[in-house]
Amino acid sequence: MGVHATATTEANLMLDAAISSHAPAQPAAIDGGRAAAPPRGLEAVAFEAVGKSFGATLALHDVNLAIPAGQTVALLGRNGAGKSTAINVMLGLLTASSGSVRTLGLDPRAAIAAGRVGSMLQSAGLPAGAAVGELVELARALYPHPLGRDDVLERAGLASLARRRVETLSGGELQRVRFALAIAGDPDLIFLDEPTVAMDVESRRAFWDDMRRFAAGGRTVLFATHYLDEADQVADRILVLERGRLVADGSSASIKAAVAERRVRFTLPGADRVAMAAVDGVIGVEIHGDAVALSSRDADATVRALAGAGVPFRDIEVAGPSLERAFLALTGASPDAA
Amino acid sequence: MLALAFRFADRSPVAAYLRLEIRRQLRNRRFVIFTIAFPVILYVLYTAVLETDTNGPVAGLAWPVYFLVSMASYGAIGAAMSQANPIAAERASGWTRQLRVTPLPGSAYVTGKLLSAVLLTLPALVLVSVAGASVNHVDLRPAAWVELVVGLALSSVPFAALGILLGYLFDTDSAQGAMVLTFFGMAILGGLFAPIEAFPDPLATIARVLPSYHLAAIGRAIAADRLPDLVDVIVLTAYAVVLGGLAGWRYLRADARAHG
Repeated sequence: MGVHATATTEANLMLDAAISSHAPAQPAAIDGGRAAAPPRGLEAVAFEAVGKSFGATLALHDVNLAIPAGQTVALLGRNGAGKSTAINVMLGLLTASSGSVRTLGLDPRAAIAAGRVGSMLQSAGLPAGAAVGELVELARALYPHPLGRDDVLERAGLASLARRRVETLSGGELQRVRFALAIAGDPDLIFLDEPTVAMDVESRRAFWDDMRRFAAGGRTVLFATHYLDEADQVADRILVLERGRLVADGSSASIKAAVAERRVRFTLPGADRVAMAAVDGVIGVEIHGDAVALSSRDADATVRALAGAGVPFRDIEVAGPSLERAFLALTGASPDAA
Repeated sequence: MLALAFRFADRSPVAAYLRLEIRRQLRNRRFVIFTIAFPVILYVLYTAVLETDTNGPVAGLAWPVYFLVSMASYGAIGAAMSQANPIAAERASGWTRQLRVTPLPGSAYVTGKLLSAVLLTLPALVLVSVAGASVNHVDLRPAAWVELVVGLALSSVPFAALGILLGYLFDTDSAQGAMVLTFFGMAILGGLFAPIEAFPDPLATIARVLPSYHLAAIGRAIAADRLPDLVDVIVLTAYAVVLGGLAGWRYLRADARAHG
């Protein structure tokens, strides 16, 4: 666990210092028993000016990114923003129309063939008639250095379901089987395309707990989601795609910070809407009875102006945007906010 | 061949995949009923239970021996073609995509299907033979039994290729229907139910171009304790090459499309 904490802290420090694409923090020692594994520390995924078009449709447009080994990265975007296309390009299931793609320093298909990548595709079918344990055995046999069978079942929360046929499982249980197939080969890099989409809140929490434990060995995790809270809570770093373009790249905090808007709230009986709108930095005013909420593009200036004018406000608080507001700002009406 | 055998060493990926394929098919009720139980039941029914007007030998073979080869052939062809529906279903469900992002080579998927289809002819071949030996006291040399089972299993390769081709040509809704139609067409027109000797001329001509007829002819030669005719071997080999080539071409097309 100590190793995990160190690696994550390094990653966060690096991210906070300068968003993305710098030399990766080297997660030092990896957990025991993996001495034979190839060294980590290279960039797990590198895109240079990657474009992908389907006929006239541009699914990815000039995307540049570098994901150092050991990070847990969320790929965020609305439906059709290019998340699955990006993941399929990283996996070699799709070939980029332009630019260069390296997965673990290799051509994506070579990285797959070397058994260093695990993946959980969006609603990948599982073959009827197969038992959970048998699928895990198959997945283990396909990789050169697999985890133990019981280890895989335990990590995926499937220990009690090993003998069940896949056609008898619930949607959430099937997602766990897909997760088990993704981790069975003990990959350096794991892709999860909307992994919790069929899960209830409780299953989602349990799933991310399992995922964090798996990532703790210095592995790189990249997951696509449209659940903002998952990205906020789980990822070291968030990539936001919108219409095939990378519109934001950084920690959850840095993305929120990139959206200049702040909310300044206070209590002020009889506040005047016009006067409030004229205060420095204010771009929006909401007044409900005594409660005033100002949207400001410069909270410091707004608070100074209010205090300087002797406005008798009480209970003032300044809040940054939620990730959801940041996301809306990034992908909505003003994509230039990034 | 030797290289192939080495690749099937216990923990090889292809062997693991093949093992799961065979287990899954043997759990499939439709497969067990139509390709294993059905030929055995029909064989016993038409040689030991129902009165048939065929008393004398057909094509030089006693009826219980002749029909044993027919039903063994029927079971072998059905089992060999049985991968059509699974391939169509697995393409639609995304299981083939999931396998593509593992180190299993894409070609191993289709090779595994071919090998499992051929290996899965063995239950019907063995059980029909056992029914012949036990119920009707069909008496072949021990080596001839082995030759019959192995000969018909190897002869089913073109049908395995045909099943794979159908799995790539048709989608989930129609693959099963296409396979059943082709299978019964082959079985009936190839003379597996009514002997070709009873066919009117035009039908007998059609029968002689079908691989099912030639597969059964190889079985009958072995049952009559003589070498199979070269023409039967040549026709089946030609079918294997052509159908295998077509299946491989459709597989490569599907593979290229999946890699957009």
